[in-house]
Amino acid sequence: MKLLNNKTLGLIAIILISGYGYIASCTHKDLIIPEPATGTIIITRGDGIFLPGTETIGDTSQWKMDKSHSSVLWSSAYLETGGLLTGRFNKFGLNSLSSSARQLYVSTGQPVLDTSWAFYESDPSKSYFSGYVQMNTSNTGEPGRDGGCYLGYVGAPKIISGTQNLMDSNVVVIRTTKIEFDTKSSGYIVTMVMSWKGLLSALHDTTVNGTLSYVKRSTVGEGTAAAYGQFGLQLNFQFNCRSFGITTDEISDIVNVQCNMNFNNK
Amino acid sequence: MGNSFFAYIQKLELLAFFSGYSLLCAIILIFAGNNESGNNLRKRTVFILPLSYALVGTLYLGLQLKNFYLSYSSGNIRPAIHLSYLMVWGLLSILFWIPSLRKRPSLSLLHNLVFFFILVKDMILQISSSVDGNILKNDMRMYTVSFLLNLSAFILIVLLSFVVSRRRIRYK
Repeated sequence: MKLLNNKTLGLIAIILISGYGYIASCTHKDLIIPEPATGTIIITRGDGIFLPGTETIGDTSQWKMDKSHSSVLWSSAYLETGGLLTGRFNKFGLNSLSSSARQLYVSTGQPVLDTSWAFYESDPSKSYFSGYVQMNTSNTGEPGRDGGCYLGYVGAPKIISGTQNLMDSNVVVIRTTKIEFDTKSSGYIVTMVMSWKGLLSALHDTTVNGTLSYVKRSTVGEGTAAAYGQFGLQLNFQFNCRSFGITTDEISDIVNVQCNMNFNNK
Repeated sequence: MGNSFFAYIQKLELLAFFSGYSLLCAIILIFAGNNESGNNLRKRTVFILPLSYALVGTLYLGLQLKNFYLSYSSGNIRPAIHLSYLMVWGLLSILFWIPSLRKRPSLSLLHNLVFFFILVKDMILQISSSVDGNILKNDMRMYTVSFLLNLSAFILIVLLSFVVSRRRIRYK
């Protein structure tokens, strides 16, 4: 033990080294850490206002639906339980289709103006839109089906070449009754009335809810003389086709619809 | 040390059991050495140190037996041991149960300095910034645990020796 007593310095060294170890390995857990995030979603919205006007070509203050770059897609579970059966509508537009507009048009272009809409990015209470699809123009990529059994399942008339049928028996119309901010995303919650005859004896209205996304305005060909603006709206919703008398078990009760609308101010 | 996760775990185990003994030893030897009026007490506490060290070594042996439970064959154990020399060195602490060895507390301290130097090595490596700071943090956590374990073992042995000495006095 004498040896150790003489080596008191060595023992003190052990203690000092241990002390250094604690200081060097200090985790600074006593530091005041920043407060955790509140969980509140911060959504930044612009103040864009988009109005259709009268679709005057060359008026950059008027926004036109870009039909050739837009789409209305549908999908539903095949045989009610299988994978998705999908399709799109070749003919659609943004018009509320008043009773006087519901007729047969001899035209290959848009039969009526696509002007039943307005979009206020930061004031959804002022936004609205009405849209329609021609049911007999569903395109699943199988012409035999699209022009055959499908028409019977949805009660739509056959296509008459060179014409566009906006009669009650062939159109589904949606019109918004309320658009509000989605508090959990940068999008909007849309309440709509969907109007369709289907296989019923008269038009039937049902209320559906959907989500609307705004794809921010951008400039195409910026810096050139041909520059123009564009923006997009995407609407997603689903409805129960049995409400409209559809009985076929080829598809499920629930049909999903996605509308991808692009606009420009050319 | 092999550069494997399991080797690191075994190193932490060794540190958790043995690294704190040198600090405990240093503190007790310094305080006992300054106790001028209590030579008997000093002797008793100092000579109890190797026993507490042997107790910790025995607990370490128990842990290893538990780890290798149901696979007590050299073929199973050999691949699972990554720090064989250090483990054997640690298990040698059990020898301090032998009366002739336990009378030499300095020997137990010298034996234990091997584990203390592992800690010192990590400190030096951190000073030279060639090692992640988390390694030293882990080492010091194990060091604290080890100190508390060795202190507990020491207190237990002190209490047992107190009880045994009381009984001896009673039966004399």
